[in-house]
Amino acid sequence: MAVEVLRPVVDLPRAGILRRIRRAIMTDPLALAGVAVIVLLAALAVFGPWIAPYPEQGAGQSNVPARMLPPSLEHPFGTDGLGRDMLSRVIVGARPAVAVSLLVVGLAMLIGVPLGAIAGYRRGRLDALIMRVTDLFLAFPPLLLAMVIVAALGPGLEHAALALAISWWPWYARLARGTATSLRERSFVEAARSIGVGDLTILRRHVIPNLLTPILVQATIDIGTVILAAGSLAFLGLGASPPTPDWGLMVAEGRTYILDQWWLSAFPGSAIFVVVLAFNVVGDLLLDVLDPRGTR
Amino acid sequence: MTRFILRRLAGSGLVLLGLSLVTFALARVVPSNPAAIYIGPKARPEDIARVTQELGLDRPLPVQYLTYMGDMLTGNWGTSIGTKRPVLEEIFGRLPATLELIGAAMLLAVPLGILLGVLSARWQRRPPDLVVRVVSIVGVSIPAFWLGLLLQVVFFRTLGLLPLTGRVDADLRFTSPIVEVTGLYLVDTLLAGNWTALRDVAWHLVLPAVTLAAYPIGLIARMTRASMLEAIGQDYVRAARAAGIRESLITYRLALKNALIPVTTVVGLTLAYSLTGTFFVEVVFNWPGLGTFAVKGLLNLDYPVVMGITLFGAIAYVLINLAVDLAQSWLDPRTRLA
Amino acid sequence: MTAPLLSVDDLAVRFVTPDGTTTGLDGVSLEVRRGEIVGLVGETGCGKTLTGLAILGLLPRSARVVRGSVRLDGDELLGLTADRLREVRGARVGMVFQNPASAFNPVFTIGSQMRYVLAAHERLPKAEAEQRIRETLAEAGLPEVERVLRAHPHQLSGGMLQRAMIASALLCRPQLLIADEPTTALDVTIEAQILRLIRRLQESRGFSVLFITHDLGVVRSVSDRVVVLYAGRVAETAPTADLFARPAHPYARGLMAAVPHASGRREALASIPGAVPPDVGTIEGCAFADRCPLVVDRCRAERPLLRELAVGHRAACHLADAGAIL
Repeated sequence: MAVEVLRPVVDLPRAGILRRIRRAIMTDPLALAGVAVIVLLAALAVFGPWIAPYPEQGAGQSNVPARMLPPSLEHPFGTDGLGRDMLSRVIVGARPAVAVSLLVVGLAMLIGVPLGAIAGYRRGRLDALIMRVTDLFLAFPPLLLAMVIVAALGPGLEHAALALAISWWPWYARLARGTATSLRERSFVEAARSIGVGDLTILRRHVIPNLLTPILVQATIDIGTVILAAGSLAFLGLGASPPTPDWGLMVAEGRTYILDQWWLSAFPGSAIFVVVLAFNVVGDLLLDVLDPRGTR
Repeated sequence: MTRFILRRLAGSGLVLLGLSLVTFALARVVPSNPAAIYIGPKARPEDIARVTQELGLDRPLPVQYLTYMGDMLTGNWGTSIGTKRPVLEEIFGRLPATLELIGAAMLLAVPLGILLGVLSARWQRRPPDLVVRVVSIVGVSIPAFWLGLLLQVVFFRTLGLLPLTGRVDADLRFTSPIVEVTGLYLVDTLLAGNWTALRDVAWHLVLPAVTLAAYPIGLIARMTRASMLEAIGQDYVRAARAAGIRESLITYRLALKNALIPVTTVVGLTLAYSLTGTFFVEVVFNWPGLGTFAVKGLLNLDYPVVMGITLFGAIAYVLINLAVDLAQSWLDPRTRLA
Repeated sequence: MTAPLLSVDDLAVRFVTPDGTTTGLDGVSLEVRRGEIVGLVGETGCGKTLTGLAILGLLPRSARVVRGSVRLDGDELLGLTADRLREVRGARVGMVFQNPASAFNPVFTIGSQMRYVLAAHERLPKAEAEQRIRETLAEAGLPEVERVLRAHPHQLSGGMLQRAMIASALLCRPQLLIADEPTTALDVTIEAQILRLIRRLQESRGFSVLFITHDLGVVRSVSDRVVVLYAGRVAETAPTADLFARPAHPYARGLMAAVPHASGRREALASIPGAVPPDVGTIEGCAFADRCPLVVDRCRAERPLLRELAVGHRAACHLADAGAIL
């Protein structure tokens, strides 16, 4: 769900862009908070098992005597049906969330960027063919293709990541194609072509490196959306399987008890929400700074 | 105009042809042994052999594809392994419940999203704008399945205001049963003048519809704000001001009509979102629609159901895109002649 | 002599941006008398469009009027409430913009846009309103009234749109027409037609025109009097013939020299070496000092005020005195 459907093509950044981004973040408390959340997420993903109060429970070890405890000082997020500390589960859950989203975005870029760059650089029939294929992948309602692929492959975090990457790459192909098309007309590419540099070399040396900036900006923004998508798949049972500390899966596991042990679903869900919110806030700001029309 | 529609329809036909190829590939080529999947986990070798022949899986792929296409076109979408009923029949049987949910969500989201976006643009950088921006970014960031659970806790458990799950109260069958005509309960109860049932149906619809509407509201409000700001900055708005036309008329009529052109695209996108968004909402609220059916099919690898739902969703998506194009050409006279 | 229809006095506008403030207008004064066409000329960015917008309170949000006065027929326009200002716009002052293709709303017909304009100021019975719109369009040289009324902007040519725009601006019979580069976006033959149209309508209806342009050829053919702006200040003002015959301000002389006499059209005004100062508000002396071939010490120290050199001919230059121009 919530596949980011509005995908404004990020313009080629101009000089001083980093400085402008930094200034924009510094002057916007909301964006600053967003950046803080993202930094925290990264820290938890790396150091989670050392930060969590009960790391072994976070990883799945049960502690039945302490089951279904409501939030308290000792267990700020309460404990689940197996007596596991929910705070630890949520903290340890940062790593799979980040890992999956990096994997998805990375794979999608790996497939999409070369295809889009070739399509935009070569134009003509090859372009038409590649773009028709991407259109086909985009002709499914968001996430439907990914759901079907996970169903066919069977549940599991890696399968969910693969399925998401397969339904995500067309966006990068489109973005890469748009930028490559404009690069094609630029003087340094034309110069290389006129002195007889081969197409593949031009693609590798001039086109792809130059279109990486907008792609990477988009990829950064996408991380949040992918976390939401992966969480959504897991919620349906089409992603991580127990005892993986996956936020979406935890929400699903807590659903049965939602009316009495609300904390089981509430905290992992809020982790997804806060992270996605942070990426969207920062993404908005990035697009604001990069959008020449300034209408967003 | 007619030519435009015909050309778009032809284009949609091509996309559907491609889609059928993809779904065919997913059903027959990706799984290593489709027959085994068809029968289920307890397949014996002789069953597999029988089914392989029955389904024509031993024939060349192009022949299989043509057979598959023929089946799809003649409405033979296979039989659900789980329910043992024809997939197409199942889909149309559950469609009204989902349509009612999506319809209610969109009826809520489109006017509200546009209103919020317009207010936000009208009061740019002032308090209403800030409130709307926060609401819209929360709307697009909140996981629908989690929002649904929170709403259940608040409105069912804590406040006791609204029902927890389902389309109607179980007792309603005995007290004032709904006579199904359209399958849209709101319409059916209204037509029958069955006010008790109407009230019950409406109450059941509130939470799922709000949950499903959250993302569309956020996205539509954002897009409306952006395109209103763009419209307000145009020469024709300055010219209208210079001509002494009232500011409210300029905002809510002259600029808004321009701003709505890109908004139709986003409305289409959110409608497409709700095609799968409804899966999550239906699961949370135990809604007897296409979503719960699809999720059950996916989890049990009920292949005919999965393929049917995929194709159905893709067709719906194509139709939504077509509707968006038509709406745009209707709103924008510059494309009307195209 | 009767009081002028429009008198702008010491108008100053500043832009406030996140990067600081700059000066848009630095004490502009000008007059438009009844039945007169006044040309307002200058280079891009000299403040001529800003002056037009400031008169009607249409400045962009980043711009603020910091001092001065704008009187229309004796009524002060600066500081009017939004509602009162709205009653002036379109009713007592009509405005025509540079690009007719973008000044009309693309998704409404010309007819409905004109109906909105008329309805904003006059409550007429429907038939009478329609009658007024048709007559005005026909008067503006659009005989195919029915087709124009039903057309969307993209279906009409630039010349037709500008005629419709003029008709729209004159719909409520204003006393003053502000035309901001009304022919710049049009090609040469259409431009000549539009200029003739404005002249003709002005003669038959008797309104006044403030004609904003960067094109001296246009000014020469259309206006009775000219005001030359430089960097947000008035450099010189004179009857058209007088100015072209005896420009007094070195900047105006530079402009005249830059116009080839044969055609007198569309030649770059900025063939004077040097550049316009970035913020005239910080300059104590003459804004043109750095580019002026005749500059003396006094020019940098003391701001020259407009001085009357001959009847109706004034220039803001320490060196331009009555003797020099005669």
